Amino acid sequence: MAGTTAPAARSCPARFITNVEMSSGLIRLDCELDAPLPFRPGQFAMLNLADGLPLVFSRPFSILAGDGTTLSFLYRVVGRGTAALARLKPGQGLTVLGPLGRPFPTPDELEGRPAVLIGGGVGLPPVHAWFARHGRDGDTAFFGGRDGADVPWSMLDARWGVSVDRAVDVPADREAFAGVVTELVASRGDLADGRTRAVLACGPIPLLRAAARLAAARGWDCWVSLEEHMGCGYGVCKGCVVPVATAGPDGWRNATCCDEGPVFRADQIRWDRYGVPVLPTT
Amino acid sequence: MPPSLPTWFDLDPVAPFTLGGREIPGRIWTASGCFAYGLSGHDMAAPGFASPYAGIGAVVTKTVTPAPRSGNPMPRLAETEVGAINSIGLENVGYDVFCRETLPELEARGVPVIASLAATRPEEFGTMTARLQEVAGDFAHWHGIEINLSCPNVAEGGHDFGSDPGTVAECVAAAREALPGRPLLAKLTPNVADIAALARAAGDAGADAVSAINTVIGLDVDLATGRPVLPRRFGGYSGPAVLPIALAKVDQIVQQARVPVVGVGGIASAADALKFFALGCVSVQVGTAQMRDPFAAARIARDLVRAQS
Ligand SMILES: Cc1cc2nc3c(=O)[nH]c(=O)nc-3n(C[C@H](O)[C@H](O)[C@H](O)COP(=O)(O)OP(=O)(O)OC[C@H]3O[C@@H](n4cnc5c(N)ncnc54)[C@H](O)[C@@H]3O)c2cc1C
Ligand SMILES: Cc1cc2nc3c(=O)[nH]c(=O)nc-3n(C[C@H](O)[C@H](O)[C@H](O)COP(=O)(O)O)c2cc1C
Ligand code: FES
Repeated sequence: MAGTTAPAARSCPARFITNVEMSSGLIRLDCELDAPLPFRPGQFAMLNLADGLPLVFSRPFSILAGDGTTLSFLYRVVGRGTAALARLKPGQGLTVLGPLGRPFPTPDELEGRPAVLIGGGVGLPPVHAWFARHGRDGDTAFFGGRDGADVPWSMLDARWGVSVDRAVDVPADREAFAGVVTELVASRGDLADGRTRAVLACGPIPLLRAAARLAAARGWDCWVSLEEHMGCGYGVCKGCVVPVATAGPDGWRNATCCDEGPVFRADQIRWDRYGVPVLPTT
Repeated sequence: MPPSLPTWFDLDPVAPFTLGGREIPGRIWTASGCFAYGLSGHDMAAPGFASPYAGIGAVVTKTVTPAPRSGNPMPRLAETEVGAINSIGLENVGYDVFCRETLPELEARGVPVIASLAATRPEEFGTMTARLQEVAGDFAHWHGIEINLSCPNVAEGGHDFGSDPGTVAECVAAAREALPGRPLLAKLTPNVADIAALARAAGDAGADAVSAINTVIGLDVDLATGRPVLPRRFGGYSGPAVLPIALAKVDQIVQQARVPVVGVGGIASAADALKFFALGCVSVQVGTAQMRDPFAAARIARDLVRAQS
């Protein structure tokens, strides 16, 4: 397992600073902490409102960046909790529990293999954080969005390859491949040079499956960051399990996404059992 | 948090008190299933706290069953504006691993423990308790047992099991015989008409206290699909929404059964905890709030102590 050494979590008060719209669907949230929060790319934090009617469960969000005492996230409004984040006013209180979970491997842990980073939609933050902190010549990064308006262009410099399902609203001075992001990766001649690489991916499950298949076909290692419904985020409720392969008689077991993940080696995941209701065995 | 404590409250929430012939380090506990086995918080920090265990009287560990369980299908959690519905399905490491690995580690770390057990036949509570006594009989930090007679998420045993006073009595008696000198608690289901009858049965069979309540049966519907959100349809409802239900059940027990009560259900603040003490509870447990904040129980203990001084 990658990244077993990671900073320990802190439960701390925070103040909301700002929501900045980065694309039609993605909002960057900045908040101010009592002290800097060291984290490794791929780790997440549980966010909640400090006052008003806090959510019964906090919500997990990947850490996008930490600059001094400012901590940043990137999110999409999908329900009650994210809608509440979008309504925050400057100075309002938040609670942050983090950093949590196992991060993506570092370049050292990749043993010199160049990284192929793939972020789909709201799966961008951990991949973006990795590229910003560790990215070197030879590493490549890709973002997949629905259309040009969905892409947070200002976050993606020219080193990023961008794909869109529908090639509308792409700015005149930018380029986007029409198709899914793994097709864009597969089409890149410079990645077919025979070098062994490592894929680090975060996004919707179909994207992760495709990334895992692409990596397997080329003999590359692959790490994926998974999302599950979470109750606690720190391993105590068993609300967030994913099936991983084991040597035991059943061939699989439940792993907690929050503290055994969210980053897993793709070949550890029992994809055949993932996302489909698994009936209890006992 | 109340700025100062009401005059009727004369307990010290972080001082040892006697239950079932043993000193328990304090009266603010974490509830079973909401802080796992009590081993997950040791590296965590929060401003003003030495650890999430500061001031905690006991961690009631996740219920363990004779064999390991892999639990229910995902998703296992649904949330309402004021509560949470869970369908974990008693996923646990099983009794062997709990006895061999978990309990010794808790002992080494000095975590005060009440072990929660579940079984499908009353006599199993006897054999499980006897084994615990063998393994941990000389442990300083293992304080007692809570038998879970009320988890609504498992088909066999589980809910129906705990709604019959006769069965409750059999389970308690089996465990009691194997547990000298340590408190035995019976955790009751609220999903019955007469919870006091269960409490009387438990008390008469030798329980030192009853814990009330476990989760309330609940269901949520996904309007997009028109189907229940949870694959098993029902789950256990907990959190702020169940606080008044828990208080009512506790009051019925206090009024109608002569057995000490450990209050649990919806406690998220010192004020919530005080309401249970007002009704006569000897201690309280923090469940869903502990999932949101690993320091929830520690905060409540601290706030009660601060308000006292
Ligand atoms: C480790 C991790 C990192 C994450 N990072 C980010 C991030 O950086 N940015 C971001 O926008 N989102 C991220 N998410 C997802 C985010 O947690 C959910 O979007 C959020 O919890 C939804 O809360 P809500 O109250 O708005 O929606 P709810 O009302 O709770 O749900 C709205 C819809 O989203 C679904 N849903 C809710 N939670 C999840 C989940 N965890 N996984 C899959 N489906 C879910 C529900 O089934 C429902 O259909 C992450 C999730 C995990 C587990
Ligand atoms: C995710 C979750 C798992 C739980 N697991 C158990 C369990 O294993 N055994 C048990 O006796 N109670 C279990 N409970 C019930 C709690 O211990 C508690 O009785 C109930 O949730 C009400 O308290 P609360 O509102 O403070 O959570 C669980 C509750 C939740 C939310
Ligand atoms: S969210 Fe509670 S164990 Fe993962």
